[in-house]
Amino acid sequence: MRIARLLAVTRKEVIQIRRDPRSLGMAFVIPMILLFLYGYALTLDVDRLKTIVYDQDQSAASREFLEQFTATRYFIRVARAENYRDVEWALNSGRAQVALVIPRNFARDLALGRRVPVQALLDGSDSNTATIALNYLEGIAARYSTRIVAERLGVNPRDLPVEIRPRVWFNPELQSKNYIVPGLIAVIMMVIAALLTSLTVAREWERGTMEQLIATPIQVPELILGKLLPYVGIGFIDVVLSVLVGTTVFGVPFRGSLPLLLILSLVFLLGALGLGMLVSIKTKSQILASQAAMVVTFLPAFLLSGFVFDIANMPGWLQAITHVVPARYFVTILKGIFLKGVGLRVLGVEVLFLALFSLVVMTAAHRAFRKSLE
Amino acid sequence: MNGRPDLAVRVENLERHFGDFVAVDRVSFEVPVGEIFGFLGPNGAGKSTTIRMLTGLLSPTGGSGWVGGFDIRTQGESIKEIIGYMSQKFSLYEDLTVEQNLDFYGGIYRIPKERKAARKAWALEMAGLVGREQSLTRELAGGWRQRLALGAAILHEPRILFLDEPTSGVDPISRRNFWDLIRSLSRQGVTVFVTTHYMDEAEYCDRLALIYRGRMIALGTAAHLKREHMPDAVLEVAVDRPVEALEVAPRVPGVREAALFGALLHVVVSDAAAAAPAVRGALEAAGLRVEHVEKILPSLEDVFVSLIEAEDRRQEPKTKSREPRA
Amino acid sequence: MWERLKHMLIKEFVQIFRDPRMKAVIFGTPIIQLFVIGYAVTTDVTQVATAVADFDRTQETREITRRFESSGYFRVVQWVKDPEVLRALIDQGEVKAAIQFDPGFARDLARGRTAVIQVIVDGTDSNTAGVVLDYANRIIAQVNREKLQILLAARAVAAGRAAPILSGALPGVELRSRVWFNPDLRSRNYYVPGVIAILIMLTLMMMTAMAIVREREIGTMEQLLVSPIRPAELILGKTLPFALIGFFDVVVITTVAVLWFTVPIQGSLVLLFGATSLFLLPVLGIGLYISTISKTQQQALMSTFFFFQPAMLLSGFAFPIANMPEAIQYLTYLNPLRYFLVIIRGIFLKGNGVEVLWPQMLALLLLGLSVLTASTLRFHKRLG
Repeated sequence: MRIARLLAVTRKEVIQIRRDPRSLGMAFVIPMILLFLYGYALTLDVDRLKTIVYDQDQSAASREFLEQFTATRYFIRVARAENYRDVEWALNSGRAQVALVIPRNFARDLALGRRVPVQALLDGSDSNTATIALNYLEGIAARYSTRIVAERLGVNPRDLPVEIRPRVWFNPELQSKNYIVPGLIAVIMMVIAALLTSLTVAREWERGTMEQLIATPIQVPELILGKLLPYVGIGFIDVVLSVLVGTTVFGVPFRGSLPLLLILSLVFLLGALGLGMLVSIKTKSQILASQAAMVVTFLPAFLLSGFVFDIANMPGWLQAITHVVPARYFVTILKGIFLKGVGLRVLGVEVLFLALFSLVVMTAAHRAFRKSLE
Repeated sequence: MNGRPDLAVRVENLERHFGDFVAVDRVSFEVPVGEIFGFLGPNGAGKSTTIRMLTGLLSPTGGSGWVGGFDIRTQGESIKEIIGYMSQKFSLYEDLTVEQNLDFYGGIYRIPKERKAARKAWALEMAGLVGREQSLTRELAGGWRQRLALGAAILHEPRILFLDEPTSGVDPISRRNFWDLIRSLSRQGVTVFVTTHYMDEAEYCDRLALIYRGRMIALGTAAHLKREHMPDAVLEVAVDRPVEALEVAPRVPGVREAALFGALLHVVVSDAAAAAPAVRGALEAAGLRVEHVEKILPSLEDVFVSLIEAEDRRQEPKTKSREPRA
Repeated sequence: MWERLKHMLIKEFVQIFRDPRMKAVIFGTPIIQLFVIGYAVTTDVTQVATAVADFDRTQETREITRRFESSGYFRVVQWVKDPEVLRALIDQGEVKAAIQFDPGFARDLARGRTAVIQVIVDGTDSNTAGVVLDYANRIIAQVNREKLQILLAARAVAAGRAAPILSGALPGVELRSRVWFNPDLRSRNYYVPGVIAILIMLTLMMMTAMAIVREREIGTMEQLLVSPIRPAELILGKTLPFALIGFFDVVVITTVAVLWFTVPIQGSLVLLFGATSLFLLPVLGIGLYISTISKTQQQALMSTFFFFQPAMLLSGFAFPIANMPEAIQYLTYLNPLRYFLVIIRGIFLKGNGVEVLWPQMLALLLLGLSVLTASTLRFHKRLG
C-alpha cells in the first residue's frame, strides 16, 4: 500500500467533486432539507381530526357532550350533517375523518340514568390516524361516562378508584421529532452513499478512464480508499451539521458523549459509503448503480432501521432481516446517545456489529474490484 | 523471469476467445529491446485484444507471453510498473486540466518528488502544451489530446510503451510529429509496441506483424515483406492517354489488375519479365504512345492487400463462424 | 412522424433491455421495495414488551395486570423485583413499557382512597409511547367504571333499594365505533397502495432523467439532433418507454398487492389506469425537466432525489398532511404525489369513483400539463 498513490486518487477525486458544485451543494442541502422536514414539518402525532357531527337530539346535553370532543385539539368540527347521506358522503370524500352520531333521545335517556349509545364512524383507510382517533374517542367518552356516574354517586369525579400516573422516559413531551431526528443522521449518511459513492466507480468505467487507471501499478485498496476519503469527509461534515442543527434549531436533546458519536459515525460512514462503492464496482453502469443503490442502501436505512417504523412491530422474518441492516444498529446508537445518554456499556453489541459490517463491506469491495476489462 | 533479457516482449501461441469467437489465434512473435514494433491489421483483426493481454488488462485463453521478462499471466502487476499504455479510446479525465491529469499520473506512478517537476515539464514540452496547462482536457482538439495521453503514458520513463492506435482521428501533420516523437523515444532505448490500421505509418516501424482475423499472416521488416510476400509484381506505365490505357491494359494476358495513380498506371502482373513487353505491345497497338513500362517496388499497402486476399482465398473452403468483431 | 417515433421507441427499448441487469432492476426493484415496505411499514402497535413491578402483590394488582395482558396490547416479558433492573430493561430497550404497583395499592382501593398505578413508557418511540399510554388509559377507565358500578350497587342496597339490574349498563354514554373502509385497521392497507405511487414516481423520474442525460454524456444525443427528428418526437421517444414501463409496474404491483398482501380493491381498475396516466404526466414532465438542467448523470440523480425526498415526505404517504404546519400544507398543493395518493387510496379502500375524485384528477392534469409544457420549452431551447 503506497500512500502516494492513494493520495493521488483522493486529490483527483476532490478536484472532480469541486468541478461539480451543484452535486456538492446538494450533498449538504439535501440533509438540511431532511432535517427541516423531520424536525419541523413531519409528525406522526395526530390531532385536528376533521369531524362531522350528526346531532339528532339538538339538546343542551347533546351539545355539551359533543363539546367534550370538539373543544379538545384532537377534533375539529368541519360540518354538521342533516342526514345519514351527508355523513356517508363526508367520509367517502374525505371531507371528514370522523363522524359522531347522537341519537334522538339522548338528553332524555341520559337523565333517566340509561346507557345511551352514540355512534362513532371512522375513516379507517389511514389506519394509524384511525387507531389513535379511536383511542381518543374512547378515552373522552369513557371519562365523560365516568364523570356522570361519579356525579350520581356524589363522588368527586376526580377521586376515581384507580388513577394512572404516566411517566414518559427520555422524551417526556412525546415529541416525535425527538425520536426521529437522531435516527435521521443514519438515513442521511445512507443517502450520501447512495447518491455519491454509488456512481463514482461506475462513472469511470463508463467514460473509459478506468481502463487507463488499471493499466498502472495502482493497487485495489489504494483505489477504493482513495476514492472513498473525500466522501467520508463530506459525510462527516453532514453529521456534524446535522447534530448542530438538530440540537440548536430543533431543540432535540443531546444527553450522551459527542466524541463517541463522532467516532462511531466514522465507522458507520466507512461501511455505508463502502456499500455504495461496492454497488458501483459491481454494476459498472451509472443508471444501474443508482437504482441498485436505492434498494440496497437507502431503502433499508429508511424502512428497516427502526428510524420511523418500529422494528418490534414488524413480522418475525423481517425482524431477522433487519439484523443485517447496518443502519439498524446505528439508529439504536444514535437514539441511545441523543435521548438516553448511554455509552459503550449499553451499546456494546451494536458497536460491534457496526464495526463488523464496515469490515465486511470493505473486504467485499476489495474482492469485487478487478483490475481487468472482463 | 525468462532468460531472454534482450527481448522486451515475447509471445508464444497466444490465444483469446470470446465465447465462440476467436479474437486472437495462436500468435507468436518476439520484440527486441529498443525496437519499434508495428502491429498492423484492419479493424477487428485482434490488435487491441493482443495489446490488452500484454498489458494485463485481459487474460489469455491459451498460450503464453512475457513483457520485460515478466509472465503476463502471473506477474501482471510487475508489468504495469515498467510499461506505459495509451488506449485506443481517449481515457484521461476530461474534467481535469492538462496539468491536473499529469499530476495525477505522476502520483500514481510515484515519480520521486525531485524528478516530478522535470518530468512534468518534459511531458508538456513534448506534447506542445506549454502554456496550456490550465486548459480543461475536454477543450483540447484531437491531436493535442493524443499527445497529452502519450505524455501521461511516458511520464514515469517506462522501458516499454504500448500504444493502441495512437494516431486515429489525428490530422496528417500531427501524425507525422507523433511518429517523430516515437522515433526519438526509440533512439533513447524505449521499446515501442504500436498498433495501427494506417498502412503508411507501417513504414516508420522497425518490424511489422500483420494481423488478420486473429491470425498473424506476416512478420518482418517492411523491406522483407515487400520482397518476400508480394507474389505479384507491379509495373508502372506512363502513356499519353492514361484513361484509354486503363481500358486496354486489363485485357492483356498475365495482367491481374490495373489502376490509375495520378497520371500513371499501376499494372499488377504475375510475371514482370513476360508481361512488360506484352503490355507495351498492346498499348502501342491501341494507338497509344508509351513513354515507359517499369517494374517498381510494391507499397506496403499493395503487399498487405494481396496478403489478405490470399488469406481469404485460403480460408474460403472452411466454414467457420468468423465474423469480424464490431 | 409515427414512423420515426416507432423507431425511436424500438431503439430505446433495445437499449434499456440489452443489459439483463437492467431488466432485473426495472421489474425487480419495485417488487422488492413493495415487499419490504409492505411488511416493514407498519404502525400497528400491539404486543408491546412490558415489565411488571408489583410491590403490592395482592389480588387486585394481579387482576389489573391480567387485564393488561389480555387486552392484547401488552405482552408481559419480565416480572421485576428491583427498580434498578427496571431502569436497565428500559435503557437497553428490552421492554418498551412497565407497570408499577407500589405497596398499599389494594389497601387504598379498599379504603376508598385513590390507588395509583404507574405506567412507564419508553418515549424514544413517541408514536408507540403515545398509543401505549392511550391503551393503558382505556383499560384503567374500564376498571374504574366497574368499580363504580359495584359502588353504585352497594349504595343502592344500603339505601334499601333493589340493586339496579345492571346488565353491564352503567348510566352514561356508550360509544359504539365502526370503522369504515379498513375495518381491521391494518396499516398495510393504508401503506401498500401508497407504495405504488411512491415507487412509480421515484423509478420513472430517475430513469427518465438519467436516460436522457446519459445520451448527452456519451455523445449520441448529438447524432440524434443532426437527424431530421423533431423535438416532439425526441421527447416522446424518450418518455414513452418509461410511461409504458410505469404502467406495467402498476399492473404488477397492484396484482401483488391484491393477491399477496390481500389489500382490498373496491374501486374500478379502469379508473386506476386512467388516474395513473394522469399521474405520469407530471412525473415524466419533472424527469424531463431535470434532464434539461443536468449535465451529468450524477447531477440528474441528485436532482431527482432532491425533488423526490420532500415530495415523498410531504405527500401524505406516511405523515398526515393535516398535521403539518399551515405553510407547508399550502406547499403540498404543488405535489402531484399528494393527489395521486388520495386517488389511489380512494380507489383501493373506499371504492371511490370519478364523482368523488375528479378534483384530484383535475389537479394532476393541470400540474402535468404545466410541467410538461415548461419542460418541453426548456428542452427546445437546449436543442436550438
